[in-house]
Amino acid sequence: MMAAAAPPDRLAMSVPATIAEAIGLEMARDPTILCIGEDIGRAGGVFGATAGLQQRFGPDRVVDTPIAEMAFAGMAVGLAQAGMRPLVEIMFADFIGVCLEQVFNAAAKIPTMSGGRVRMPVVYKTAGGCIGSAAQHSQCLWGLFAHLPGLKVVAPCNPHDHKGLMAAALRSDDPVVYIEHKALLLMKGRDFRHHPAVPDGAFTVPIGRAAVVRPGSDVTLATLSLSVEHALEAAGTLAAEGISVEVVDLRSVVPLDADTVAGSAARTGRLLVVDEDYLSFGLSAELTLRVIERLGLSGLRQVERLALPDVPIPAARTLEEAVMPGPAAIMARLRQMAKGR
Amino acid sequence: MYPIWRLSRDGRGVRDMAGTTALPDAAAAAATGLVRLRRMAAMRAFDETCLEALRRGAIHGELHVGIGQEAVGAGMAEALRPEDAVVSTHRNHFHALAKGVDARALLAEICERATGLCGGFGGHMHPFDPATGFSATGIVGASLPVALGYAHAFRLRGQAAVAVGVTGDGGAHSGAFHETLVIAGARRLPLVVLVENNGLAISVPFDAITPTKTVAERAPAWGATGLHVDGTDVDAVAGAFARAMEHARGGGGPVILEATCHRFRGHFEGDPEGYRSRAERQHLRERHDPIALCRARLEAAGLAPATLDAILSEEKTRARAMLADVLADPLPDPSEARRHVFTETP
Repeated sequence: MMAAAAPPDRLAMSVPATIAEAIGLEMARDPTILCIGEDIGRAGGVFGATAGLQQRFGPDRVVDTPIAEMAFAGMAVGLAQAGMRPLVEIMFADFIGVCLEQVFNAAAKIPTMSGGRVRMPVVYKTAGGCIGSAAQHSQCLWGLFAHLPGLKVVAPCNPHDHKGLMAAALRSDDPVVYIEHKALLLMKGRDFRHHPAVPDGAFTVPIGRAAVVRPGSDVTLATLSLSVEHALEAAGTLAAEGISVEVVDLRSVVPLDADTVAGSAARTGRLLVVDEDYLSFGLSAELTLRVIERLGLSGLRQVERLALPDVPIPAARTLEEAVMPGPAAIMARLRQMAKGR
Repeated sequence: MYPIWRLSRDGRGVRDMAGTTALPDAAAAAATGLVRLRRMAAMRAFDETCLEALRRGAIHGELHVGIGQEAVGAGMAEALRPEDAVVSTHRNHFHALAKGVDARALLAEICERATGLCGGFGGHMHPFDPATGFSATGIVGASLPVALGYAHAFRLRGQAAVAVGVTGDGGAHSGAFHETLVIAGARRLPLVVLVENNGLAISVPFDAITPTKTVAERAPAWGATGLHVDGTDVDAVAGAFARAMEHARGGGGPVILEATCHRFRGHFEGDPEGYRSRAERQHLRERHDPIALCRARLEAAGLAPATLDAILSEEKTRARAMLADVLADPLPDPSEARRHVFTETP
């Protein structure tokens, strides 16, 4: 009798390995799933999020493409129309600039334009977020995707959700933009403050449900992706100062779980939205307004938002840190808000 | 015998005898000719009906008709199989009919009816018919990556099916055209890129903006096969398209089939056409009408003029009746306007 394979050491596993595990489980379960993108096959993805998949599933199901995003972003649309379930890797979220056409004019609109006759089970997986790569390799852009009707937009913050949301995205009949944060992709399980146990087998995290990842009573802090880690760091420090922060991980921008945030803010009376994406016309304003719509103008004592100011992200560390909503900026804002208690 | 040109690597046209169409005998040729004439007549009548619908206010938005380009649509019909896919353009009606999309449902969609192919959500530029493998896009050049996806799916599933991506001379200059052919050429995918070259990217003449005499001669750059055909000659198009499909279906890799043709009307209905004269348009209608050319050929082959005229008038009558029928259909219910964005759970 063969011994069962030893379960992976979750705390030693990197986030990309967790994502690759989810994709592999889904591909083994569903032969219509395939992956397309640059450097995802032989190299296993620039962060390793498709490592080993081409060896397992072959070069026609894990397709190394030329640098031709317009073609392969649209190829996914044709594959979906032909009954397949493609996952497309757009290496960095910023690169959507060269192929947005097929994402927002085709994948996002065809379900509606066809009167519901055509579904678009496509996952556009992309790495966003700032790790010091300046204006063209640092954007999150979930606000941009969310603004375009027809796309579900998820941005996980911990290994558990990276795995579960990837499985949910691959099982969704709607197009899903799955935005990883590069800083999280460089982390292992043990690096996380908030790390629910990750099952070895397949499981899904439903798209569109926020999670309260730290309970608190003075301020509600709603955010997602890497900023959840920053929020937890800030909340931990402020707890010692007697400030109790409830941290809500939104997990997805579309659908946006404003009910969970409003429920929390109704108890704390204070809402801070932290967003690593641009400030204007984005998630922070949208979420704030949706909460106000639910609680009424008098339902909150204080509303604040902390997001990337409307500037291209500068290169030098000192400049970058001045615009990023990191732990120090979050703590400063929370202290300010707590003064009014 | 109708000429098809297979372009050599140096761009010079070489007559390719293997690709010419030799019809077996006069009777069979006449029968085929009549079918092709009827297809073209039905297509023209369809688009004339759309013009009528526009006049009657049944279409409130843009309309692009293909009148003058019937030989390309009709020439596709014979070699397309149900399992093949066609991804078309903003000027898509003839390609849809060639693929077997239900004409009534298509007209109802164009006329913004609840009974339309897409319930009135797509309109004339965005018909989607999963049953026949037909779809289109209103964005020039964007049809090709989608066709590429079909081609990859067919290869992956071991199907002997071909994906046809239609574009115009305008779309042939887009980046998506190049990117699609890089991938299709490298993987030798079953893709036919049909370039309906009507010589005008809205107002800009093809030869004013392009570095080569034809689009098809660029094919070797992508390891593709380039074919060029007179797109006003339905018999030539049918032969060339059959050849292209056979090549792609047989594993020969992608084909660029360029069919040179003329659009008789503006880019869209309402186009003031300041870029060409009335005399020029008149000339096209008199000298390059694919229906008149086909009819003349059949008449020369001995078919009775009355038989040919009957075909044309029957199709007109049929289309008019279809329009009357469609206009009696209900309009979409405004309460449905927010539907279909995401999967609806029953």
